[in-house]
Amino acid sequence: MTSFRVLGVGLALVWLVTAAVTGVELAGADETCNSPYIAKLIKGQEDYVYVWTLGVDGVGDGSDKLVTIDVNPKSKRYGTVVGAVSVGGRGEAHHMGLTDDRRFIWAGGLAEPKIYVFDIATDPAQPKLVRTIGDMAERTGYLGPHTYYALPGRMLVQALSNTKDKGGVTGIALYNNKGDFVTSYPMPTTNGGDGYGYDLAVNPRKNVLLTSSFTGYDNYMRPLGDVVKDPEAMKKFGNTMVAWDLKTMKPRKIFAVPGAPLEIRWSPKAGDNWAITAAALTSKLWLVKEDKGEWQAKEVGTIADPAKIPLPVDISITRDGKGLWVNTFMDGTTRYFDLSTPEAPKETYSKVTGKQVNMISQSWDGKRVYITSSLLANWDKGGADNEQFLRGFAWDGKELKQVFEVDFTKEKLGRAHHMKLGSKSLKSS
Amino acid sequence: MRRAGAAALLLWLAAAPARAHEPAGPPLSFEPPAPGTYTLQRIMAAPDGEVLDLDGRAQRLARFTHERITLLALIYTTCVDPEGCPRTLPVFDAVRRAVGDSARLRERVRLVTLSFDPERDTPAAMRGYAGRRATPGRVPWVFLTTRSPAAVAPLLDGFGQDVRATTSRGHGAPQREISHVLKVFLLDPAGVVREIYDSTFLHPRTVLNDVETLLQER
Repeated sequence: MTSFRVLGVGLALVWLVTAAVTGVELAGADETCNSPYIAKLIKGQEDYVYVWTLGVDGVGDGSDKLVTIDVNPKSKRYGTVVGAVSVGGRGEAHHMGLTDDRRFIWAGGLAEPKIYVFDIATDPAQPKLVRTIGDMAERTGYLGPHTYYALPGRMLVQALSNTKDKGGVTGIALYNNKGDFVTSYPMPTTNGGDGYGYDLAVNPRKNVLLTSSFTGYDNYMRPLGDVVKDPEAMKKFGNTMVAWDLKTMKPRKIFAVPGAPLEIRWSPKAGDNWAITAAALTSKLWLVKEDKGEWQAKEVGTIADPAKIPLPVDISITRDGKGLWVNTFMDGTTRYFDLSTPEAPKETYSKVTGKQVNMISQSWDGKRVYITSSLLANWDKGGADNEQFLRGFAWDGKELKQVFEVDFTKEKLGRAHHMKLGSKSLKSS
Repeated sequence: MRRAGAAALLLWLAAAPARAHEPAGPPLSFEPPAPGTYTLQRIMAAPDGEVLDLDGRAQRLARFTHERITLLALIYTTCVDPEGCPRTLPVFDAVRRAVGDSARLRERVRLVTLSFDPERDTPAAMRGYAGRRATPGRVPWVFLTTRSPAAVAPLLDGFGQDVRATTSRGHGAPQREISHVLKVFLLDPAGVVREIYDSTFLHPRTVLNDVETLLQER
């Protein structure tokens, strides 16, 4: 277990001097950040938060699991665990995604090429594991499925690594919603492409798919302290974003975006055609926007003090595109940026929300914010700093107030990572 | 003949923006890729099952999903969402006109509209919905329904079309509504789904480019 206290300033200096990019994750999506093809957005009070949770040896059954938390304040079980579905193994559970009909969650681990499919429609309070897709490595050579991005009737699965050398050169697999493999698309390695992958985000109005880049199995499964002491490993982080033609799935333009650009969020506001991302290692915000008929990527802001290595690991955009939550892992801080002028984001609020914080999701109306704690099993902090939780907050536009907490260690669940929202009303008829 | 047909379609496509395209919905905010410059993946096999034609005769759906390139819409006739089922009609109209202008294409393309609300969309209701569109023309346009929700359920499952019945409680009596997201399917002559259009991609230009792309495979 890496202790960030021990690494301290030395770690920061290594990062800065190396100028390479240690990636840090790792985030996903929430109600405002879902694929535009997903039906039935929950625009009222959500009933559940599903948390994809990394198993920990000696904690409960030690397996990765999908945990269901009741988050409706009117419920008698508000703020408690109402269900947990174990997959019977531990594979570095990480991200998940909803199918376009919102009946299923696809989830996977970074240590294996497996994809787990959970039915959340038959009983939204008690998801069921209904399928395991195990042919990704055989079909594509990719390893570590990360982002699950719904297209009509299909799922794009962005991997982080490959089975051949377990480096960062990887690609995107395409499955139909039944779990049948359709085809794959390698990340570009020419014309400035580094071949790395991380997140996916589609703007159908513009026929554009954006991708970002992180690192491979050899780095993300290795203790972070070891990675940063290894100059060769530090060179193996993504420094690019790619604009693809969505219809043809061909790379259209490759952008140099140093520092492991991670989550990508298109503004949900009608008429907006720009996206924002955060580069984890350089702690910069980047804007991707069309200018004079060409897509451009431009650095537009700084998150905290990059010299202190805050490590922005997840972002969540408001539904009007005017605000952005940013979680910085190292200092356990949740920050709010005013995005009224996307070319000049401005931090207007910050609060320490944990000793380590990773994912952040918000309700459609922005009044409820959910935060989890785990980055990667080998990258989380050690000792007392290794808090593992889901915390719920109320946001009134001025202050984040914690309203509940589920302690994932005390509940013998594991490391809390990615979240999706659920609702009783989505029960299949 | 084949070459001449393709050329005619391309000419039609080039001239089309001022013709049948724009009335079929909002203009595309991107330039669709040229036919044949991309691959339409084989997404899944179209399902089969019993359907009813406008005369109430039982047929197999497979009869209308093979041998020709098929553009198939799943709809219900009382849908009023402008981004939903009503979007299909002007797009299909435009595609039908364009395909009909090509002697080669009209033998190789069909349109299918299948209701997923058989309780209200009886064969008679479908006939009323279809109107003159059901009249045999240069390009077949088939309107279908089923005997019951149980009969349409496996078809919906096979196409991956999620449909949920809801009740609207407005000022008047409760109204039964159907919640769904528009999906239109492009099938190759082997009955394999090659594209699934949502409302943003459903446009005569994208559909016709895809038809031409499929034709160039052969």
